[in-house]
Amino acid sequence: MELEEMQIVWSQMSAQLEHQKKLTNKLIMEMIQQRFKAKIGIISKYEGMGAIVCFSAAILLLFQMEKLDTWYLMAAGLFTLLYLIVVPILALLSVSAMRRINLTRNSYRDTVADYVKKQKHFLLTQRVAIYFNFILLLVSLPVVFKVFKNEDLFVSNIQLMYWYIPVMTVFLILFSRWGYGKYKSVTTSASRILEELEAPGA
Amino acid sequence: MIQEEQAFVEIIRKNEGIIYKITRLYARDEEMQKDLFQEIVYQLWKGYPAFRGEAKVSTWMYRIALNTALFQLKISKKGGNKVSMDGLILEQDHYDPVFDERLQVLYASIRKLGDVDKGIVFLFLEGKKYEDIAGITGLSLTNVSTRMARIREKLKRTIINS
Repeated sequence: MELEEMQIVWSQMSAQLEHQKKLTNKLIMEMIQQRFKAKIGIISKYEGMGAIVCFSAAILLLFQMEKLDTWYLMAAGLFTLLYLIVVPILALLSVSAMRRINLTRNSYRDTVADYVKKQKHFLLTQRVAIYFNFILLLVSLPVVFKVFKNEDLFVSNIQLMYWYIPVMTVFLILFSRWGYGKYKSVTTSASRILEELEAPGA
Repeated sequence: MIQEEQAFVEIIRKNEGIIYKITRLYARDEEMQKDLFQEIVYQLWKGYPAFRGEAKVSTWMYRIALNTALFQLKISKKGGNKVSMDGLILEQDHYDPVFDERLQVLYASIRKLGDVDKGIVFLFLEGKKYEDIAGITGLSLTNVSTRMARIREKLKRTIINS
């Protein structure tokens, strides 16, 4: 169908729609209220649940810190504690910045650009978190052993670290690639729109 | 507040056709169409306090509705109850199968275009000038006219191929 023909059909449809009024005042306000309810509290299912788990673990660890009686266990404990607090906060902040994109103020082009920018920031946060995950992997096990079993892993059971580290590293690499890939595909599709908007002659 | 609410509701009722047309273009099925319709109304409500009437109501609506259509499918999560709407379909006083078929072909042709071009064609079919399309989308005038020429070619090629 060519554009001129499309225009004829479109105006015919628009004329018919003019006579077809389905919305009532009540229905419109109900739509707004339902949406509003649906949005309250939704930051992100995964990041939200992850943050709760991390904060709970941080509180638990905070009250057990005195059990960490050597400098290296104390250092590992402090890193774990900071990780459990800072990383979820960073993730939640960048997710909420993304969700706060204002669809009502900017033009189509500016909105896409804003979205891509925030997504890139979010991906950067995710990348940083992935690197920290590897450090956490190394330092958290001795802390857990000391806190829950009152055992210094470096003294009593260093062999455990020899298989734990490679196994968990493989798991972490696979999990990170999967998670990061999922987030990245969303950004890529938005970036494609942005490229399309910026390069009409391409 | 009540006055503001009434004014907003009036605007939506007067221009519900715009929302209907956009949702039909961007949504894949009726369920998604209802969801998008509701989201557009919500976004318009959110943006209403900042709307000071400097632009035409329809221009303001096109901008927000197109933004929402583009992003609803990408970032928003479906959630909450859907308000019951009696089927988002075009009711014809006298059902005309020929017109209905042409309408299907029209939508099918536009849906073959990319998200951005879809929005541009929509605005063009709504009778917007290139300047208006540029204003609503944030694209330059040259960009819009280049795109329109390419869309025209693309649509022609679709006819030849089919």
